[in-house]
Amino acid sequence: MQGKVGVFVSIGIVMAEQVKKEQAVSGVPMVTATIDGREVTVPKGTTVLEAAREMGIHIPTFCWHPKLKSVGACRMCYVEIERMPKLQVSCATEVMEGMVIQTASEQVLQGRKAVIEFILLNHPLDCPTCDKGGECDLQNHTFAHAVDDSRYSFKKARYTDGTDGTTFDDKRLGPEIVLNRNRCILCYKCVRANKEAFGEYDLGVYERGNIAEINSAPGHEVDNPFSGNLVEICPVGALTNSDWRYKIRVWLTQTTSSICNMTSSGSNILFYKEKNHNKIYRVTSRMNDSIDDGWLPDVSRYGYQIATTEERLKTPLIKKDGKQVEATWDEAMTVIHNRFTEIAEKKGKVCLGGLASPYLDNDSLHSFNKLFRTVFKSNNIDFRSDYRMLPEGADSPYEMLVDQPFTIADIDDSDLIISFGSDLIREHPNEYLRMRKAYNFKRAKVVSINPYAVKSADIAELEVIHSIGRAETVLNGICLAAMEMGLVNNQDLTGKIAPATTAEAASDAGVTEDDLKEVARAISSAKKISFICGEMVSRSIARDTIASALWNLYLLFGFKDKGQMAILPRYANSRGAGSLGLLPSPSDGLRNTLSGLWGCFPESDPNNTDAMLALMRKEEISGFFIIGANPLMLYPDRQFVTDGLERLDFLVACDLFETDTTELADVVLPLSSWAEYDGDYVNLEGKVQHARQAIKPLYQSKPAYEIITMVAEKFGAPLFESIEACRKEVDELLSMTHSTKFPSQFLEVKPCYEDAEEEYPTPLLICDDPHHCGHRTEKSQSLSNFVSEAYIEMSPEKAEKLAVKDGESVRVESPVGKIVVPVRISDCIDNNVVLIPRNFASTQVTSLLMRKRRLDRVKITKVDE
Amino acid sequence: MMLSEESVKAIKERAGRYPHRKSAILPALTIACRQLGYVDETVYREISKIIRIPMVEVAEAATFYTMFPKAPRGKYLIQVCHNISCALLGADSLIGYLEQKLGITKGETTPDDLFTLISVECLGSCATAPMMQINEDYYENLTRQKVDDILQDLRSKA
Repeated sequence: MQGKVGVFVSIGIVMAEQVKKEQAVSGVPMVTATIDGREVTVPKGTTVLEAAREMGIHIPTFCWHPKLKSVGACRMCYVEIERMPKLQVSCATEVMEGMVIQTASEQVLQGRKAVIEFILLNHPLDCPTCDKGGECDLQNHTFAHAVDDSRYSFKKARYTDGTDGTTFDDKRLGPEIVLNRNRCILCYKCVRANKEAFGEYDLGVYERGNIAEINSAPGHEVDNPFSGNLVEICPVGALTNSDWRYKIRVWLTQTTSSICNMTSSGSNILFYKEKNHNKIYRVTSRMNDSIDDGWLPDVSRYGYQIATTEERLKTPLIKKDGKQVEATWDEAMTVIHNRFTEIAEKKGKVCLGGLASPYLDNDSLHSFNKLFRTVFKSNNIDFRSDYRMLPEGADSPYEMLVDQPFTIADIDDSDLIISFGSDLIREHPNEYLRMRKAYNFKRAKVVSINPYAVKSADIAELEVIHSIGRAETVLNGICLAAMEMGLVNNQDLTGKIAPATTAEAASDAGVTEDDLKEVARAISSAKKISFICGEMVSRSIARDTIASALWNLYLLFGFKDKGQMAILPRYANSRGAGSLGLLPSPSDGLRNTLSGLWGCFPESDPNNTDAMLALMRKEEISGFFIIGANPLMLYPDRQFVTDGLERLDFLVACDLFETDTTELADVVLPLSSWAEYDGDYVNLEGKVQHARQAIKPLYQSKPAYEIITMVAEKFGAPLFESIEACRKEVDELLSMTHSTKFPSQFLEVKPCYEDAEEEYPTPLLICDDPHHCGHRTEKSQSLSNFVSEAYIEMSPEKAEKLAVKDGESVRVESPVGKIVVPVRISDCIDNNVVLIPRNFASTQVTSLLMRKRRLDRVKITKVDE
Repeated sequence: MMLSEESVKAIKERAGRYPHRKSAILPALTIACRQLGYVDETVYREISKIIRIPMVEVAEAATFYTMFPKAPRGKYLIQVCHNISCALLGADSLIGYLEQKLGITKGETTPDDLFTLISVECLGSCATAPMMQINEDYYENLTRQKVDDILQDLRSKA
């Protein structure tokens, strides 16, 4: 580098001219300055650093982060500004009209060099053993500024943990985060991101001056669901995670661009792999401002370990004499062909069904659809294995709301964000972070309407906690309040909804009339709204009633012109599966396109997951093909699924590892994870994203697409000439312009309440742990380090009533089952509700549930030791 | 609860005065220190509950300021200035004298929990050096005789 800082031009910069045009419209005044001899015009309020970056001028930083507020802690971004006597920090200096700025003058370089020399005074310079070496900002800037010697001749200060008498410097802050205080340069980026971007308060800066230190909150661990980001943004090796520590040097790895398979927004990720060992070492974010802003929830970051775990299924298994034994792919395919043919001949009608997982890519889902519809001539196909009693038909109010367009980036500039029936951190972490961003930077109003106190409501201006199972009444109440207050002109809704007055609705829903009025006022005065509905709507048996009530709200307030409202899908490719028609009865448009592509479409009865399970119990479906799904663990009625699957003549199950469901299977096939093949995924916005193959399929596993085409070939009916032919069909389906449907008039909403039984007084909700998603993530070592067993989350008041302490076991009984789980007391839960995560095979929580119930109620008793 | 009802009331009253609840952290810590003589994790947690802010914010503020003792101490906290003016006028020998007189070394508390001795940076009373602060009172132009009298006086009051 010859002691000079080069000027790096980054690709993809936002052109200042474009900004000028956009801003001129929105009325923000513009200012013009000269940076390094070039003129630039930016909106007032832009910092010198941002303006320079827009021009492609690189200014080195430690503490600055594009998504956080500036603090000017590290002083590395010095620039020289004419008529200012001293160097200024560019990250905290706003551009003013007529400023003349030098970013690489002699004085600037000297200033930065002094900053580095100062930072390095007590830095251990242990780069050879530091995991950050090779991708360290401090290392790079030191090298670029030619700081090759120190004038500090005293002994360097060194912190030692000292608790175990060793001199080793590392301190464990949480399950996946280790601190080395000696390397820390106190840029505070981790603490700021944790508080500001994630709303977590388990990390802080203590003491001051030369003894200031980063540490976890007293008595707490850093175990929040975004903690992995702290490691990623650390500019030095102070924070490392056990995932990556001491495993490999960064320059020995190659990166592959991919998409997260754990969230429905499809965070953009990079796999770090070593190709000779066919091994993935870690995942970092690949900043995409329209989706993830560069933050990854831990489930996205450590979820890749489900691919690298030793517990993977290694070969196909065939059940012989009641025992699953290893077999070859050929043997497995022959058995599948013979048994399916035999069953079909014996029954003489459609008796095969299929269940795919929404984690699979488009090619796999489409080929699965084609296999069932063209080869098996069956409409018994679904991808939803955890929603009870799904409605039929593509035009139900629920399905229409699921299909609504939604743009993640639009949350940023919404002035009102409502989360309804959704525990955002558990279900949609990326959207949760967006909501915080809008709150932090734009002072957006946040409203949370949920049956219990969710954690994401800490920034809510208004938190409405309603009686569980009364969601539609709350929505009706909001509509009624708006009409009574004269906020809306339309009165057509009167008579279609019950109860008839706001006061009645409020008392039925267990909220105050003022709350309903307040929400109505907020919606009617907002200019841009993001209304996010989640799993508590989708999983409810009353989802159509709730969706109808949502539609009324939508029509009454004219959401079409001022915002977005949607029930967000939960899984990586849920939206893709729906768009590709992997449903028992796809919309007419889809059906026509599919039959056009294939030249046929079966006429048999369409049956969704629930209907198929019912038919299995009647022995009308005798052969079943499950690919990637685990209904036994996730379907909200375990006994129902067990009865169904056990009565099958033949069950094929494909998954990454042994699951409850594969144990029952006659043939088990090892499936490759998404990291092992190329695939496209449709995120919740409908955006198609490509995940590249990072490693070759492990063991004998195969991608779902290959397994499905192998089966079809065995049946003498090859599905596609090549994968390109399949992709062409997928493209055609996805490019179909879905006419977004709206109900033309207000819908009738008569609430249906379920009475509580005295014997089972406590409503139970099944959820995902914030560190887990579905049935697969418990196999990830890092994620299990956070949480590895089920618990029952309850409020302190509830625990006091039961006389149990945190960690003590309780017996949870419902009319159909009982389990024993430890208690976790949480300030967030309220309203008598308890939560149990469903992610752990060791606790069969779905055995407590009944498929026809709107609310699951349980009895909780303390287990006496 | 470690904080008394009066302290809780006082903290709540203070918290109501600011546009942001966070601003009440320092007054709350001061009130807690006045009652307990020190603050620790339990106190941070109680304060965070009273003014409804995350505990880590309280802990950060408390550890930043040296005026909040982090462990129980004697009834009288003797803070002797050891900065330049006091040092020139014999602060060191004064500290030595106090140590000998109290039978403890700097940073310790007497066995009867009456006195804790520490030395601190400038207390802004250089014109009257050497000086010390005991709890909230200044004692200035110190001599050994004066120290004897002060200790005698405090002991008799205790």
